[in-house]
Amino acid sequence: MRTDEDIARTRAFWMANKPGETAAPAYVPDPPVWWHVGIALAAALVVQSAIAPFAAFRGASVSFVTLLVAWYAVRTGSLPGLLFGLIAGSCEDALAGSTGAAWTFATGFAGLIAGRLARTWLADTKIVLVPGAAAVTLVRYGAFAVAMQAEGRPLALPLAHLHLALWQSALDAIVAFALLRLGPDLGGHVAHRR
Amino acid sequence: MVIVTALIALVQLDAAKTGKPSVIAIGVTSVAVVAQSAASATLGALRSAGAAVADVPKLATENAALRARNRMLAAENARLNEAVASLPEARAIANESAREPAGIVASTIGFDPENVSRQITLDRGSSAGVRLDDGVVDEDGVVGRVVAVTPFESTVLLVTDGASKVPAVVQRGRWWGIATGTNARMRLQYVSQDAKLKPGDAVVTGEGRSFHAGLAIGTISRVDHPEGALYQTAVVEPAVAFGRLSRVVVLPHGERDRAEDP
Repeated sequence: MRTDEDIARTRAFWMANKPGETAAPAYVPDPPVWWHVGIALAAALVVQSAIAPFAAFRGASVSFVTLLVAWYAVRTGSLPGLLFGLIAGSCEDALAGSTGAAWTFATGFAGLIAGRLARTWLADTKIVLVPGAAAVTLVRYGAFAVAMQAEGRPLALPLAHLHLALWQSALDAIVAFALLRLGPDLGGHVAHRR
Repeated sequence: MVIVTALIALVQLDAAKTGKPSVIAIGVTSVAVVAQSAASATLGALRSAGAAVADVPKLATENAALRARNRMLAAENARLNEAVASLPEARAIANESAREPAGIVASTIGFDPENVSRQITLDRGSSAGVRLDDGVVDEDGVVGRVVAVTPFESTVLLVTDGASKVPAVVQRGRWWGIATGTNARMRLQYVSQDAKLKPGDAVVTGEGRSFHAGLAIGTISRVDHPEGALYQTAVVEPAVAFGRLSRVVVLPHGERDRAEDP
């Protein structure tokens, strides 16, 4: 984690070298404030558990938790992504009730993978982040299926789950695109590109 | 950060291994029950308000009265049919019912956050007497069974979930089978080839761990009778309208188990 001075210095450097000009974009290490992320996670969990069946499309609903974990991991790195993924996943396991620790490890793994993009030019590229959201959703769902199998509770109707995972990844990609294109300033690389 | 990460992983792993809710799960559900109840109440109010605006008030009142009367008559009809069809079992069921304490009334406050499983969250948990494998019903029939319990919440696996299996009986001919969920409906499996199933046949529960015999599961809508197969199967439309579940009754079979334990 960088200090405030580092952040200020890097920002000043970035401001001096305007986007689109010759200098390469400098990484701006300003991770989200923890309580902002906490509130966002709580809201995502409550919204998902309250409206999931009503907002479902082809049986699948948007996973705001996955998007939040991926966003946090892309902005902070693999280890913080893993930690946040474990926390978010354990909350999902608590609300889902019958999944043991499957969401915990699947979401932690997704955070770990998404965090690999941090501090690379890929994290600065919308054309990568949108399909990246879909890929992280699929990876997470796959890890969930593996974890459930390892816990001795294999998923019933595997084809239906594959169908669900594909639709959920498509929905997550659409929402990620909408958020990146139309949403509020999410900070990090993408915001500084504007 | 590494220590916290490892600690969370270990706590969750231990909980998954023992099958008991973790400290994290208990903490999260204890807090979430308030937020989920509020969200559920808000959502319910919004849906009710939308419905009220859409309907002419008088028509809605008359409609509700007729629906209630229709449901009452249908339930009475199902009860009478079941009583006639299973007369020899009636005494045993009556004895069992007499030993059953009153059901626990609960409200639906949430769903699976990822919509991976067909399940609902109830606002009653172990502190209200809910236990694992308790059956859950509403006025129309079988809803599901309890698969997870924390002090203030419980999770119910709906009978339409792929992992749900309920012993079932076709009411008309007393043919046995297993009702397995297929997400939207159920499939009645392992029914003997000599059973003469017909669309419209009522399917009720057989005596099992979570349910007593005779509770409505659904109605057969299609029969698959493959040549050369050992068993025939049928598609069952659930009796319960899962889209508008709000209040349910948990049948505390646990009391019976406790009474039988030495």
